[in-house]
Amino acid sequence: MSRGALWRLFYRASLGDHAYKFLFEPGPPDEAVALDCETTGLDPRKDDILAIAAVRIRGNRILTSERFEAIVKPEETEASADSIKVHRILKRDVADALPMRRVLPDLLRFIGGRPLVGYYIAFDVRMLDKYAMDLIEVKLPNPQIEVSSLYYDRKYGNAPPGTAFDLRFDSLLKDLGIPPLAAHDALNDAVMAAMAWLALRDLQARGVRIPRERAGQGPPPPTGG
Amino acid sequence: MPSGFDASNPPFDRLTQQEIGELQASLDIAYVAPGEPVVRPGQKAEHLHVIIKGSVEVREGETLNALLGPGDSFDSRAIVHGSAGEDFVAAGETLCYLVPRALVLDLIARNPAFAAFFYSEVSAKLDAFSGARRQEGMESVLRARVREASRGPALMIEGSASIAEAAQRMQDASINAAYVRDGGRIGVVTGMNLAKAVLLKRLPHETPVRHVSHFDVIAVDADAFIFEALLLMTRHDKRRVAVRQGAEFTGFLEDIHILGLVAGNSQLIPGRIDRARSVEDLTGPAQDIQGQVERLHRQGLKVEQIAEITSDLNRRLFVKLFELVAPPAIREHGCLMIMGSEGRGEQTVRTDQDNGLLLDGPVEEAELARFRDAFGAALAGFGFPPCPGRVMVGNPLWSQPLAGLVRQLRLWIMERTPEAAMNLAIFFDAVPVTGRAGLLAEAKQAMVEAMRGERALIARFANLVESFQTPALGVLSTLMERVGVASDAIDIKKAGIFPIVHGMRALAMDKGILETSTAGRIAALTDQRAFEPEFGRELLSALRVFMEYRLRAQLEAVRRGTLEREALIQPGALSTADRDILRDSLRIVRQFRELLRNRYALASFG
Repeated sequence: MSRGALWRLFYRASLGDHAYKFLFEPGPPDEAVALDCETTGLDPRKDDILAIAAVRIRGNRILTSERFEAIVKPEETEASADSIKVHRILKRDVADALPMRRVLPDLLRFIGGRPLVGYYIAFDVRMLDKYAMDLIEVKLPNPQIEVSSLYYDRKYGNAPPGTAFDLRFDSLLKDLGIPPLAAHDALNDAVMAAMAWLALRDLQARGVRIPRERAGQGPPPPTGG
Repeated sequence: MPSGFDASNPPFDRLTQQEIGELQASLDIAYVAPGEPVVRPGQKAEHLHVIIKGSVEVREGETLNALLGPGDSFDSRAIVHGSAGEDFVAAGETLCYLVPRALVLDLIARNPAFAAFFYSEVSAKLDAFSGARRQEGMESVLRARVREASRGPALMIEGSASIAEAAQRMQDASINAAYVRDGGRIGVVTGMNLAKAVLLKRLPHETPVRHVSHFDVIAVDADAFIFEALLLMTRHDKRRVAVRQGAEFTGFLEDIHILGLVAGNSQLIPGRIDRARSVEDLTGPAQDIQGQVERLHRQGLKVEQIAEITSDLNRRLFVKLFELVAPPAIREHGCLMIMGSEGRGEQTVRTDQDNGLLLDGPVEEAELARFRDAFGAALAGFGFPPCPGRVMVGNPLWSQPLAGLVRQLRLWIMERTPEAAMNLAIFFDAVPVTGRAGLLAEAKQAMVEAMRGERALIARFANLVESFQTPALGVLSTLMERVGVASDAIDIKKAGIFPIVHGMRALAMDKGILETSTAGRIAALTDQRAFEPEFGRELLSALRVFMEYRLRAQLEAVRRGTLEREALIQPGALSTADRDILRDSLRIVRQFRELLRNRYALASFG
C-alpha cells in the first residue's frame, strides 16, 4: 500500500465531521475540478487565501457556467501591499467577503471526490489543507493533476541531459496556443489551467510531443513559477 | 466566463450590457481534438460555437467549404433552422465557447440587431450589418461644407432694373433667386416674388425690381457646415439662404441642394448632360457619375440601386455623346449598343467599356473610321478604361453592318474556344442605347435561334463557369501564414460574381430568355421553373452580396489611385459577421455550380 493511500485511509478514519465523507468517494467518472487560489503570499504556514475559484470539467467540456467563485476574508494577517499589486483584490473587496470557514464547506461540496487540476496545484491544496484541518480535521484527499508536469512530460520528457527547462505558466499557454486571459484572477487562472489540461491530455492520448526550441535560441533559465 | 469572452466581436457587439452579462454567465468551453466532428450535418445543434483557439473545417461531403478561425462562430443555421447543412470538423487542437441554443434563441427574440446575424437571406444580413455605415452617411451630409452644396455664381441685378428684365436674366441663368443692389444695400429677389408681383399684385412689368425685393438677407458663410445652414433656415423659416465668401455673395443654398448631398445629386446630372453642347461639356457630368457612386455608397444605398442609377446615367451620357460625335449617316443607319456588365446594368465603378455599333448597311469607310476614333477617345477622356478584350466601337469587329456581325456570331458558335464563348457571352448581354434598336434585336434573335435548346452548344458555353474555382474561405491563409508569405485574398469577381452571372446567362440562352439583367433572368428562369423560387432568391441575394463587397474593394482601390486588384478582398481583414455572410454566399455559388454541372454534364469537358 502506497504512502498516499495510507494517508487517505488515516484521514478517512479520523474525519471529524462525517457529513464530509463524500470527499472520500470517487467523483463522477470523467469529471475533474480545476482550481486556483489567490493568496496573501507564498508561505502556506503564514499566508492566507484571498480569493478562490473552481470550475468543473466534464469530458472535454469546461463548465464555466457552473463555476465556484469566492472572495475570502483573511482571518489574521493583512494582505501585504505587494500581493495586492499582484492580484488587485483590494481591502474594500475583502471587506464584503466571507471568512474561509464559511466558504470552505460550499467549496468542498462543489469539489466532491473529483480530482483537482491546476498549475502547481500542490500549493493551492496545501493552502486549503490548513483550513480543512481546522474545520473537519483532514487534509484534502482528492487526487491531484499537475498541469506543469504533464507539460514537462510532453515537452521535455525525452530531452537530452542538460536541456534548459521552462515551465512558466505563460510559456505553457503559448506552446499550447491558449489565448491568455487576464492573469491573477482566480477564475481565469483556473479556466486556463483547465484548458491546458484538456489540450495536454489530448496530446498525451495521441502521443504528440511539443517541439522544443533549438539549443542556443532557447528560453531564459527556468524560474519554476 | 467573466473576462475572456470578446463581446466586441460581431454579432455580440449588438448585445446590451445586461445581455452580455447573461451570455457570459451561461458560457461553457469545449476542447475538440483534431479530426473530431463538432457539428454534423442534419444534427441538431445544442450550442452556438465561438472559436477561442484553433481552427474548424467546414465540409460538405468531400469538399472543403471554409476554414474558420478564432472569433468565428458557427453554425447559425443549425441553431435557427434546426439542423446543420455542413460538417464542422476541428482541424487542429480547438477550444470553443459554447453558447446554449436556448439563450441564443431568446436573445434573437429580444434583440433584432443581434437576430439579423441569423437571417437566412445573405443580402438581408448584409443590410443589417451595414447599418452603422448608413448612419455615417447622414452624419457626413451634416458635416459637409455649405460650399459643397450651394450653387453659384451669384447674379447681381440693379435695383432700378424692371421686374421683366430681372425675370429674363434669371431665366437665362436658369436660377430661381438673384441679388439686388440698391444703393448701399443688397437684397434678394426670387422667382416667387416676381410671380406674385405680377399675378397677385398686378404690378406693371416696368416696376423697378427693388420694390419686390427684400433686404433682410439671411446669409451663411461658404465654409460653414451644412447643419449651421439648416439651423438658420429653420430659425428664419427660409427654404433658401444667401451664401457669402468674405464680403462677397457667391450664390445661394437651397433645401433642394442639401437633398442633393443626401441623394448624391444624381438627379442633377441628366440636366447637365442634356445641356452639353460639346464633348468637353460632357467631361464634368461624366466625372460626376463616377463621383456619385462613392457618395451614394457612403450614404448606405444598396449596390443594386447604385448600379441602376449609374447605368441609367451612363446610358444618357452615351446617347448624348453619340449625338455629338456620330455623323448623320451613322446616326440614321446605326444602333449604338452597350454590352457586358454595362448591358446588364450591373456596373458601378467603371472597370472597362463594352460597346459596339450595328449598321443596317455599309457606310462610308473614312467617316466610320473617324467616328470610331472620336467615340473611343471621348470615352477614354471621360475615364472609361479601354476593354481588355477590345469589345469597343473602336474595334471594326464590333462596329459593322448587321449581316457581318451575324456571320461573326455564327463563326464564334462553331469555333468552340473559350474566347469565342466569352464574345458570345458579352454580346448576349447587349442592349440598344440609341438608334435603330431593331438591328440589335435581329442580331440577337439570330444568335438565340442558333443556340436555343442546342445542349451541346449551351454546355460548351456554360463550361466557362469552370474557368475559375470558387475557393474555400480561409483555407489559403492558414497554409500561407504557416510559410509566412502572402494572405488569402479572394477574387470576388471570379469566385462569386462571374459564376452566377454566366450561369444565368447560359440558362437564359438555353431557354431563349432575352432579359439582360441577371435579376431579370433569374425572375424569368424562376417563372419557367428552371429552379425553385427559393434558390433563385438565394442566388440573387448572393450576387448582391458579392457586388457590395466588390464595390467596397473598388472604392478602396479608387482611393488608392489604382484599379489593380480591384476585385480582391482579404477575408482576414473582414469582420466575423462579414466573413460569415461571405461564406454563406460562396456556399450558394457552389450549389449553383453543382446544378450547372449536372444539367450540362460539365465534367465531360475536363
